[in-house]
Amino acid sequence: MDWLEQELKQALDRKEPSPDFAERVRRRTRGDGFRTALWPQRWLAAAAAVIVLAGVGLGYREYQGQVARQQVMLAFRIAGAKVNHIQTQVKERMR
Amino acid sequence: MIGLVSTPQVGLDFDALMRQHQSMVFSLAYHFLHDREVAEEVAQEVFLSLHRNLKNIQSPAHAGFWLRKVTVQRAIDEGRRRARRPQVALEDVAEPAAHHAQEDPMLRDKLRRLIATLAEGPRAVMILRYQEDLDPAEIAEILGMPVATVKSHLQRSLALLREKLARRSMGEM
Repeated sequence: MDWLEQELKQALDRKEPSPDFAERVRRRTRGDGFRTALWPQRWLAAAAAVIVLAGVGLGYREYQGQVARQQVMLAFRIAGAKVNHIQTQVKERMR
Repeated sequence: MIGLVSTPQVGLDFDALMRQHQSMVFSLAYHFLHDREVAEEVAQEVFLSLHRNLKNIQSPAHAGFWLRKVTVQRAIDEGRRRARRPQVALEDVAEPAAHHAQEDPMLRDKLRRLIATLAEGPRAVMILRYQEDLDPAEIAEILGMPVATVKSHLQRSLALLREKLARRSMGEM
Protein backbone atom coordinates (compact mmCIF):
# COMPACT_ATOMS: atom_id res chain seq x y z
CA MET A 1 0.00 0.00 0.00
CA ASP A 2 1.63 3.26 -1.10
CA TRP A 3 1.35 6.73 0.41
CA LEU A 4 -1.76 7.62 -1.60
CA GLU A 5 -3.61 4.55 -0.44
CA GLN A 6 -2.54 5.28 3.13
CA GLU A 7 -3.90 8.80 2.72
CA LEU A 8 -7.16 7.45 1.33
CA LYS A 9 -7.51 5.18 4.35
CA GLN A 10 -7.04 8.19 6.60
CA ALA A 11 -9.37 10.36 4.53
CA LEU A 12 -12.07 7.70 4.53
CA ASP A 13 -11.74 6.64 8.14
CA ARG A 14 -14.88 5.95 10.11
CA LYS A 15 -16.69 8.84 11.70
CA GLU A 16 -19.13 8.81 14.58
CA PRO A 17 -22.71 10.00 14.10
CA SER A 18 -24.12 12.54 16.55
CA PRO A 19 -24.26 11.38 20.19
CA ASP A 20 -28.05 10.99 20.24
CA PHE A 21 -28.10 8.92 17.06
CA ALA A 22 -28.81 5.59 18.77
CA GLU A 23 -31.54 7.09 20.93
CA ARG A 24 -33.25 8.62 17.89
CA VAL A 25 -33.17 5.26 16.13
CA ARG A 26 -34.60 3.56 19.24
CA ARG A 27 -37.41 6.12 19.39
CA ARG A 28 -38.21 5.45 15.76
CA THR A 29 -38.16 1.69 16.28
CA ARG A 30 -40.72 2.13 19.06
CA GLY A 31 -42.85 4.22 16.70
CA ASP A 32 -42.31 1.53 14.10
CA GLY A 33 -43.51 -1.11 16.56
CA PHE A 34 -46.51 1.02 17.43
CA ARG A 35 -47.41 1.36 13.78
CA THR A 36 -46.91 -2.37 13.28
CA ALA A 37 -49.18 -3.08 16.24
CA LEU A 38 -51.85 -0.87 14.66
CA TRP A 39 -51.90 -2.86 11.43
CA PRO A 40 -54.64 -5.36 12.49
CA GLN A 41 -56.83 -2.50 13.70
CA ARG A 42 -56.31 -0.64 10.44
CA TRP A 43 -57.19 -3.73 8.43
CA LEU A 44 -60.33 -4.23 10.49
CA ALA A 45 -61.36 -0.61 10.05
CA ALA A 46 -60.74 -0.82 6.30
CA ALA A 47 -62.71 -4.09 6.06
CA ALA A 48 -65.58 -2.57 8.06
CA ALA A 49 -65.61 0.47 5.79
CA VAL A 50 -65.73 -1.76 2.69
CA ILE A 51 -68.61 -3.80 4.16
CA VAL A 52 -70.57 -0.66 5.08
CA LEU A 53 -70.03 0.84 1.61
CA ALA A 54 -71.04 -2.41 -0.05
CA GLY A 55 -74.17 -2.57 2.16
CA VAL A 56 -75.07 1.02 1.35
CA GLY A 57 -74.57 0.28 -2.35
CA LEU A 58 -76.77 -2.81 -2.22
CA GLY A 59 -79.45 -0.96 -0.22
CA TYR A 60 -79.47 1.85 -2.73
CA ARG A 61 -79.81 -0.56 -5.62
CA GLU A 62 -82.71 -2.28 -3.85
CA TYR A 63 -84.36 1.09 -3.24
CA GLN A 64 -83.96 1.97 -6.91
CA GLY A 65 -85.49 -1.41 -7.80
CA GLN A 66 -88.51 -0.77 -5.57
CA VAL A 67 -89.02 2.69 -7.07
CA ALA A 68 -88.83 1.21 -10.57
CA ARG A 69 -91.27 -1.57 -9.62
CA GLN A 70 -93.73 0.98 -8.22
CA GLN A 71 -93.44 3.05 -11.40
CA VAL A 72 -94.10 -0.01 -13.54
CA MET A 73 -97.10 -0.94 -11.40
CA LEU A 74 -98.43 2.60 -11.68
CA ALA A 75 -97.94 2.46 -15.45
CA PHE A 76 -99.83 -0.85 -15.56
CA ARG A 77 -102.66 0.61 -13.48
CA ILE A 78 -102.92 3.67 -15.73
CA ALA A 79 -102.80 1.52 -18.82
CA GLY A 80 -105.40 -0.86 -17.32
CA ALA A 81 -107.71 2.03 -16.51
CA LYS A 82 -107.38 3.32 -20.05
CA VAL A 83 -108.09 -0.09 -21.50
CA ASN A 84 -111.17 -0.46 -19.26
CA HIS A 85 -112.38 2.95 -20.31
CA ILE A 86 -111.96 2.09 -23.99
CA GLN A 87 -113.68 -1.29 -23.50
CA THR A 88 -116.61 0.42 -21.79
CA GLN A 89 -116.97 2.90 -24.62
CA VAL A 90 -116.74 0.18 -27.25
CA LYS A 91 -119.45 -1.87 -25.49
CA GLU A 92 -121.74 1.19 -25.23
CA ARG A 93 -121.43 1.91 -28.92
CA MET A 94 -122.07 -1.67 -29.87
CA ARG A 95 -125.37 -1.70 -28.05
CA MET B 1 -18.83 -16.27 -0.08
CA ILE B 2 -17.61 -14.91 3.22
CA GLY B 3 -19.07 -17.59 5.43
CA LEU B 4 -22.09 -15.56 6.34
CA VAL B 5 -24.75 -18.22 6.07
CA SER B 6 -24.81 -20.33 9.16
CA THR B 7 -27.41 -21.81 11.38
CA PRO B 8 -29.93 -19.17 12.37
CA GLN B 9 -28.95 -17.47 15.59
CA VAL B 10 -31.74 -16.74 17.98
CA GLY B 11 -31.89 -13.46 19.85
CA LEU B 12 -29.55 -11.10 18.01
CA ASP B 13 -29.43 -7.96 20.12
CA PHE B 14 -30.50 -4.97 18.03
CA ASP B 15 -28.97 -2.43 20.42
CA ALA B 16 -25.65 -4.27 20.42
CA LEU B 17 -25.64 -4.46 16.63
CA MET B 18 -26.38 -0.75 16.44
CA ARG B 19 -23.61 0.12 18.88
CA GLN B 20 -21.18 -2.07 16.97
CA HIS B 21 -22.03 -0.87 13.47
CA GLN B 22 -23.33 2.68 13.76
CA SER B 23 -20.04 4.35 12.84
CA MET B 24 -19.58 1.98 9.89
CA VAL B 25 -23.10 2.62 8.57
CA PHE B 26 -22.95 6.35 9.14
CA SER B 27 -19.47 6.68 7.60
CA LEU B 28 -20.40 4.72 4.47
CA ALA B 29 -23.37 7.04 3.95
CA TYR B 30 -21.34 10.13 4.84
CA HIS B 31 -18.45 9.39 2.52
CA PHE B 32 -20.86 8.51 -0.24
CA LEU B 33 -23.15 11.54 0.12
CA HIS B 34 -20.71 14.04 1.62
CA ASP B 35 -23.48 15.47 3.79
CA ARG B 36 -23.60 14.73 7.51
CA GLU B 37 -27.30 15.40 7.99
CA VAL B 38 -28.38 13.32 5.02
CA ALA B 39 -25.97 10.56 6.04
CA GLU B 40 -27.54 10.39 9.51
CA GLU B 41 -30.98 10.14 7.96
CA VAL B 42 -29.85 7.32 5.69
CA ALA B 43 -28.14 5.56 8.61
CA GLN B 44 -31.34 5.77 10.66
CA GLU B 45 -33.35 4.29 7.82
CA VAL B 46 -30.83 1.47 7.50
CA PHE B 47 -31.12 0.58 11.19
CA LEU B 48 -34.91 0.78 11.07
CA SER B 49 -34.77 -1.63 8.18
CA LEU B 50 -32.47 -3.89 10.20
CA HIS B 51 -34.94 -3.76 13.09
CA ARG B 52 -37.75 -4.88 10.80
CA ASN B 53 -35.62 -7.64 9.25
CA LEU B 54 -33.84 -8.84 12.37
CA LYS B 55 -35.50 -12.25 12.21
CA ASN B 56 -33.85 -12.85 8.83
CA ILE B 57 -30.36 -12.06 10.10
CA GLN B 58 -28.53 -15.28 10.83
CA SER B 59 -25.37 -14.19 12.61
CA PRO B 60 -23.38 -11.10 13.62
CA ALA B 61 -21.22 -11.53 10.49
CA HIS B 62 -24.36 -11.69 8.38
CA ALA B 63 -25.57 -8.49 10.06
CA GLY B 64 -22.34 -6.70 9.12
CA PHE B 65 -22.57 -7.86 5.51
CA TRP B 66 -26.29 -6.97 5.35
CA LEU B 67 -25.71 -3.51 6.81
CA ARG B 68 -22.90 -2.69 4.36
CA LYS B 69 -24.98 -3.84 1.41
CA VAL B 70 -28.15 -2.03 2.45
CA THR B 71 -26.27 1.15 3.40
CA VAL B 72 -24.52 1.39 0.04
CA GLN B 73 -27.79 0.76 -1.79
CA ARG B 74 -29.66 3.33 0.30
CA ALA B 75 -26.88 5.87 -0.19
CA ILE B 76 -26.98 5.32 -3.95
CA ASP B 77 -30.77 5.72 -3.93
CA GLU B 78 -30.56 8.86 -1.81
CA GLY B 79 -27.88 10.34 -4.06
CA ARG B 80 -30.05 9.73 -7.10
CA ARG B 81 -33.16 11.06 -5.39
CA ARG B 82 -31.60 14.27 -4.24
CA ALA B 83 -29.37 14.85 -7.23
CA ARG B 84 -28.36 17.94 -5.34
CA ARG B 85 -24.79 17.78 -6.53
CA PRO B 86 -24.28 17.37 -10.28
CA GLN B 87 -21.95 14.55 -11.20
CA VAL B 88 -18.58 15.97 -12.14
CA ALA B 89 -15.91 14.03 -13.90
CA LEU B 90 -12.88 13.49 -11.71
CA GLU B 91 -10.76 15.17 -14.36
CA ASP B 92 -12.76 18.38 -13.98
CA VAL B 93 -12.45 18.75 -10.23
CA ALA B 94 -10.11 21.30 -8.73
CA GLU B 95 -6.82 19.70 -7.93
CA PRO B 96 -5.66 18.86 -4.43
CA ALA B 97 -3.35 21.36 -2.85
CA ALA B 98 -0.25 19.28 -2.28
CA HIS B 99 1.54 16.02 -2.93
CA HIS B 100 2.77 15.21 0.53
CA ALA B 101 0.11 14.44 3.07
CA GLN B 102 2.15 15.47 6.06
CA GLU B 103 2.58 18.94 4.60
CA ASP B 104 -1.04 19.59 3.75
CA PRO B 105 -3.80 19.24 6.30
CA MET B 106 -6.31 19.91 3.53
CA LEU B 107 -5.28 16.91 1.44
CA ARG B 108 -7.61 14.44 3.14
CA ASP B 109 -10.55 16.75 2.75
CA LYS B 110 -9.66 17.21 -0.92
CA LEU B 111 -9.44 13.46 -1.32
CA ARG B 112 -12.89 13.05 0.26
CA ARG B 113 -14.26 15.65 -2.13
CA LEU B 114 -12.68 13.88 -5.08
CA ILE B 115 -14.15 10.57 -3.99
CA ALA B 116 -17.57 12.19 -3.62
CA THR B 117 -17.45 13.30 -7.24
CA LEU B 118 -16.83 9.82 -8.63
CA ALA B 119 -19.68 7.99 -10.34
CA GLU B 120 -21.74 5.70 -8.09
CA GLY B 121 -19.96 2.44 -8.86
CA PRO B 122 -16.34 3.58 -8.48
CA ARG B 123 -17.29 5.69 -5.46
CA ALA B 124 -18.85 2.74 -3.65
CA VAL B 125 -15.85 0.59 -4.52
CA MET B 126 -13.34 3.15 -3.24
CA ILE B 127 -15.24 3.73 0.00
CA LEU B 128 -15.63 0.03 0.73
CA ARG B 129 -11.95 -0.53 -0.09
CA TYR B 130 -10.44 2.27 1.97
CA GLN B 131 -13.01 2.83 4.70
CA GLU B 132 -13.88 -0.79 5.32
CA ASP B 133 -10.57 -2.28 4.19
CA LEU B 134 -12.40 -4.92 2.16
CA ASP B 135 -10.72 -6.90 -0.60
CA PRO B 136 -12.09 -6.86 -4.16
CA ALA B 137 -13.92 -10.19 -3.74
CA GLU B 138 -15.80 -8.93 -0.68
CA ILE B 139 -16.63 -5.64 -2.41
CA ALA B 140 -17.86 -7.53 -5.46
CA GLU B 141 -20.18 -9.61 -3.31
CA ILE B 142 -21.64 -6.57 -1.55
CA LEU B 143 -22.15 -4.58 -4.75
CA GLY B 144 -23.18 -7.53 -6.89
CA MET B 145 -20.60 -6.84 -9.57
CA PRO B 146 -17.79 -8.95 -11.04
CA VAL B 147 -14.46 -8.91 -9.22
CA ALA B 148 -12.78 -7.75 -12.42
CA THR B 149 -15.04 -4.69 -12.50
CA VAL B 150 -14.18 -3.88 -8.90
CA LYS B 151 -10.46 -4.12 -9.67
CA SER B 152 -10.91 -1.97 -12.75
CA HIS B 153 -12.76 0.71 -10.77
CA LEU B 154 -10.02 0.71 -8.14
CA GLN B 155 -7.20 0.96 -10.66
CA ARG B 156 -8.84 3.68 -12.71
CA SER B 157 -9.83 5.77 -9.71
CA LEU B 158 -6.37 5.52 -8.16
CA ALA B 159 -4.73 6.38 -11.47
CA LEU B 160 -6.92 9.46 -11.81
CA LEU B 161 -6.11 10.58 -8.29
CA ARG B 162 -2.39 10.10 -8.86
CA GLU B 163 -2.60 12.04 -12.09
CA LYS B 164 -4.31 14.94 -10.34
CA LEU B 165 -1.76 14.97 -7.56
CA ALA B 166 1.19 14.70 -9.95
CA ARG B 167 -0.13 17.55 -12.10
CA ARG B 168 -0.58 19.63 -9.02
CA SER B 169 2.91 19.06 -7.70
CA MET B 170 4.41 19.82 -11.11
CA GLY B 171 2.48 23.07 -11.11
CA GLU B 172 4.05 24.01 -7.80
CA MET B 173 7.64 23.65 -9.09
